[in-house]
Amino acid sequence: MLFIEAWQFIVAHPGRFADALTTHVALSAAALGLAIAMAVPVGVLLADNRRATLLAITAANVGRTLPSLAVLALVMPLLGTGFAPALFALTLLALPPILINTCTALRQVDADLVDAARGMGMTRAQVMREVELPVAMPVIFAGIRTASVQVVSGAVLAAYIGGGGLGDFITAGIAMMALPQLLVGAIPATLLAIGADRLFGLLQKVLTPVGMRAT
Amino acid sequence: MKWLRNNWDQVLVALGEHIVISFTALAIAFALSLVIGILAARSERVFRWAIAVTGFLYTIPTLAFLALLIPVVGLGKTNAIICMVAFSLMIMIRNVAIGIREVPSDVVDAARGMGMRGIEILATIELPLAMPVIVAGLRIATVTVISVAVVAAYINAGGLGTLIFSGISNDFAPKIWVGALTSCALAVAADLSLAQVERWLRHRAD
Amino acid sequence: MSPQRIFRNLIAGTAALLMAAVPATAQVRVGSKNFTEQFIVAEIYAQALEAAGIKVERKLNLGGTLIAQKALEEKQIDLYPEYTGTMLLVVLKAPSMSDPKAVYDKVKAEYATRGLVVLSQAPMNNTYNMVVRPETAAQYKLETVSDLARVAKELKLGAGPEFRDRADGLPGLKSVYGIEFKEDLQMAIGLRYQALAGKQIDVVNGYATDGMISALKLKRLKDDRNLWPPYYLVPVVRREALEANPQIADVLNRVDALLDEPTMAAMNYRVDGEKEEPKDVARAFLKAKGIVR
Repeated sequence: MLFIEAWQFIVAHPGRFADALTTHVALSAAALGLAIAMAVPVGVLLADNRRATLLAITAANVGRTLPSLAVLALVMPLLGTGFAPALFALTLLALPPILINTCTALRQVDADLVDAARGMGMTRAQVMREVELPVAMPVIFAGIRTASVQVVSGAVLAAYIGGGGLGDFITAGIAMMALPQLLVGAIPATLLAIGADRLFGLLQKVLTPVGMRAT
Repeated sequence: MKWLRNNWDQVLVALGEHIVISFTALAIAFALSLVIGILAARSERVFRWAIAVTGFLYTIPTLAFLALLIPVVGLGKTNAIICMVAFSLMIMIRNVAIGIREVPSDVVDAARGMGMRGIEILATIELPLAMPVIVAGLRIATVTVISVAVVAAYINAGGLGTLIFSGISNDFAPKIWVGALTSCALAVAADLSLAQVERWLRHRAD
Repeated sequence: MSPQRIFRNLIAGTAALLMAAVPATAQVRVGSKNFTEQFIVAEIYAQALEAAGIKVERKLNLGGTLIAQKALEEKQIDLYPEYTGTMLLVVLKAPSMSDPKAVYDKVKAEYATRGLVVLSQAPMNNTYNMVVRPETAAQYKLETVSDLARVAKELKLGAGPEFRDRADGLPGLKSVYGIEFKEDLQMAIGLRYQALAGKQIDVVNGYATDGMISALKLKRLKDDRNLWPPYYLVPVVRREALEANPQIADVLNRVDALLDEPTMAAMNYRVDGEKEEPKDVARAFLKAKGIVR
């Protein structure tokens, strides 16, 4: 059966599979990490400026509609082939959902909560750190969850511009009409995407302050 | 730019193909999600099951999905359309179901009280009132479908992706730019127009 | 508008658009694989056939050798350009041979049993040429592939999606030359030279007629242990398509006879180096030879 042949392929080429898998995970994790490191602080910094926040959300919404392959393709003439350009493009893809969710989540924090905290003598930074961010966490994590699936999916395409990853097996499988090899690319990539979705879904639930959890 | 000026016909053909397969996929997804969504609106079990299955389909990476379909339907437009429909179902079914569920129950009760049958209520009250939410889902599905169609050029489905892949093949940046930017423009234009439709529908519903 | 009317209009509109999108039936469907030379040759074939009054549909940019073969066997295309060595090793999975005529006769006979006709070979052998930047060749004193084997552990290879699995690809380099590269990267075929020039990779599995090899003054390494069979260009046609349109044989054999290595390399360069469209380059060639006006 095809699945058995796919497994045999992995067994026959363990180095190649390990390389592709590691690259894929590394690309996805790095892109996600970079996007979080950029989008969340920006969202926090803009939190008090209503106009800037709306602008950021609008820009990110446009960014969100851009087809993944188009972004990867646009980066290629500028940065060439390989891991770094792929990482750049994937980070760009991950930014919009995280930025949008960070901004919207912070905007939706109950004003009374913020006032109460201020009344207790907290500084602006303290309010952000100890009240607003924790309350906003579930929605921010929802954005990270969306971005993670996008990034794992996009990393499959990165193979085409020499970025490596599980997509290599898919393009090779298509070229050689080798269905087992195709599965070696497609199934792990799908499992990674589902895994990322589950992982961040779980984190989202765990990080929701107990008082805010729906029954 | 020079390439675009000399080859705008190629771009138009690609754009046309892109729009046709996207539109076909959306029409099919719309029809399917109406049926399933209506059922899901009535039954929590159907809702959960439908969302679970279509949600799973949605997480499958695009190229992987297209590749997995090759042994079943081969290359080309049919393959691409199946993939696009599969990716759109979750959001559309969810929005149809939620849209119908959000129709105020007193409105439905009043209609029933007036002697209207189930189908009539569905067609003349529930669906129209659910339209804004349904269109919101259609909007997301449209952007998704346009994005998938770009990748589908790799399995010979045609569309704007052919310009991108061809440009990458010859390392010719202008072609890549034109393909990529046109598909972005198409996605943004579709999103904005449907946002307008959504806004108009919400306005009407008030 | 009520939902029913919207829905009805939607269906009607879809039907209209679908009918507009269905292409008129062509007599012959020409396919190609996914690199420059294939696009050019397929266009040459297509335009030559059109000049002979045959209606052609192009289905170019198929993802690889075996998928093109599958498209032929499943009647999704009627013909495409292929190379005898590739047919021998990759499609037929037969042992390698070095005599061009022997290879041609063998593939012709075997393909015939599959309902496929192999027409005349063009006088061009588009074999693999391992290429490196001139500095790399100077630094490691590389003249042959055996020389490459000495230092391969320090170099990165970049190749298309088939090279890792083809008998005449990495596996062949390993078994005949004992080559193991430091790293081998997979990328779209058309990106190899850019990556080489940009020093992201050090070695490329060049095709002998690639226009960029001379343009970038790359060093071609000699195949001293004869790993590679001859790869002569031939049109492969479905027998039924040929029987329906017998002129195909004459037209294609005629253009094939005109394709030699320098001509092909020059055309490849016009696309890869000067960024012309394959169809324009094909047209210019056919015009110069008096096949189209």
